[in-house]
Amino acid sequence: MKGLETVKYIVQLKDVSKTFGSNEHTTTAVRNVSLLASSEEFIVLFGPSGSGKTTLLTLIAGLVKSTSGTISLFDRSIEDYSSLELQQIRATRIGFIFQTFLLIDSLRVIENITLVLRFAGKNKKEAQRHACRLLQRLQIDHLAKKFPKTLSQGEKQRVAVARALANKPDLIIADEPTGSLETRQGFDIIRNLNEYSKEQNSCVIVASHDMRMADHADRILHLRDGVLL
Amino acid sequence: MNMYSIRILTNQPLRLTLTVGGVALCILLMFFLLSVYRGVADGSVEYIRRNKVDLWVLQCNASNILRGSSLLSTAHGYVIRQIPSVQSASAVLLSLSAIKKDNHVATVYLAGYNPETGHGGPPHLVEGRSVLNDNEIVIDKSFASKFRFKLGDSIKIQDDTLQIVGISTGTNAFVIQYAFVTLKRAQSLIGFPNIVTCYLVKVKQGKDISKVSAEIREEVPGLEVFDHATFLQNNIHEMQSGFLPFIYTIAAIGIIVLTAILSLLLSVNILERRKDFAVLKIIGSPKRFLSNLIIEQAIMISFLGSVVALILFFPMVALIEKISPEVSTKSSAEHIVIVMSIAVMMSLISSFISVQRIRRIYPLEVFS
Repeated sequence: MKGLETVKYIVQLKDVSKTFGSNEHTTTAVRNVSLLASSEEFIVLFGPSGSGKTTLLTLIAGLVKSTSGTISLFDRSIEDYSSLELQQIRATRIGFIFQTFLLIDSLRVIENITLVLRFAGKNKKEAQRHACRLLQRLQIDHLAKKFPKTLSQGEKQRVAVARALANKPDLIIADEPTGSLETRQGFDIIRNLNEYSKEQNSCVIVASHDMRMADHADRILHLRDGVLL
Repeated sequence: MNMYSIRILTNQPLRLTLTVGGVALCILLMFFLLSVYRGVADGSVEYIRRNKVDLWVLQCNASNILRGSSLLSTAHGYVIRQIPSVQSASAVLLSLSAIKKDNHVATVYLAGYNPETGHGGPPHLVEGRSVLNDNEIVIDKSFASKFRFKLGDSIKIQDDTLQIVGISTGTNAFVIQYAFVTLKRAQSLIGFPNIVTCYLVKVKQGKDISKVSAEIREEVPGLEVFDHATFLQNNIHEMQSGFLPFIYTIAAIGIIVLTAILSLLLSVNILERRKDFAVLKIIGSPKRFLSNLIIEQAIMISFLGSVVALILFFPMVALIEKISPEVSTKSSAEHIVIVMSIAVMMSLISSFISVQRIRRIYPLEVFS
């Protein structure tokens, strides 16, 4: 799956629009958006609620189809990927971070990490070893045996970041990652994310309305009413 | 087995306990029905199976003694005995009779037979002996337990007093039990001394049974003559046609309830973890992983339910047989395998139903 040396851009969007609904009741969430994102880039997408940030992220991840325009992911049109290939890409090459963390509460922290490693094809032992190393690196190995509901908000988001980074993805998609965190925690998370993504040559696309993000961004984009300004 | 499926189940211990309990009850019901069926099947035809004669001779159009009537005269027996190939023809008279003891009145399937040949008598005796004279009776063990009869007790049939001299087994047909008296006593009780139900014929050694059968038909036209295997099969068929639909109906209800309980639990688990499943879809879970989660849960529940049912089954049967001795059961490893296979099949069906719910979970639900 890898082979980034041949990839020019991680993400390419050309005149992409997305309209929801049918007949008279339609809403256009994203209008004629064009965007190029390459590896190691930390792109922050600012915009108020309802501006279409989340829709744009889901379009990039191949979770929804665009109404018009073309989207390329890892140098290949998203239309050309089968649903199985898209699932494999999400398992191996894309990491996701959500505002409400969305860890699996029934699983321990380490199991949350090993799960994504298993999805990416690692065997049980390998996944276990890899997850332990990652937790150590992120200095959250003391949380390994805990269940997510016993963690603080900040700890949960650090685990969520670990889960997103576990497979060393080429692309990290983060939707309001600091939205549920206090200022200090949010700052730490962004700094960590920036640092680790740079180490892994990952492209990070963050949707946020937290202006603190601007300090870490390589590129800032503003979205309003679905239009990239 | 995936850790996540175990965690989903054990996260709600009370719900898991109730579900396993419900499933166990359904499986227990199936175990019980199957063992009752086996018990009844054996009890109903054991009398015929054990009275192994060469031919059974009945009235025209009668094919069994469980749900058919046959009336023959003693003159028929006289003619049959005259056939050179016939070694013996023992008459049996079967009738429903009310037994009285103190305030108890109970109906038995009274078999009058000739104690000298023993044909048509009790298949197994667990206590006492067979009847020797007209004032004696042998009763079924479960019947004796239910009405607390014991050897030496006197019971009344109509105005005649008979003494219990033996207790038999293999004579419990669930809805009714056999009792045994002499042929003469049975005939006097119904008031027709020349009437019998059937003849149990033994042919002379070396004689062809089918030829003897044809000879009897020729000598006494209008009789039904069956070899032992056919007659046994007729009675098994009769018993099954009367009893099996009832068993099947209750078993089917049990199976439907089992499937419904499992589907309900699995669906509730899916609905409660809707977001988890959506997240799993986003982070690249293979489709098979999600459906396996559901299948594994269903199999775990049905396995636990089967184990609980097996643990409860034998004490429960002992208790039921103590309360209602006429309920005779018989179980085997084969039954356990059959019921557990049904449980596994139902768990697969219920998981298949529930898996459809996962398909309807939209990954974008998590971006709210």
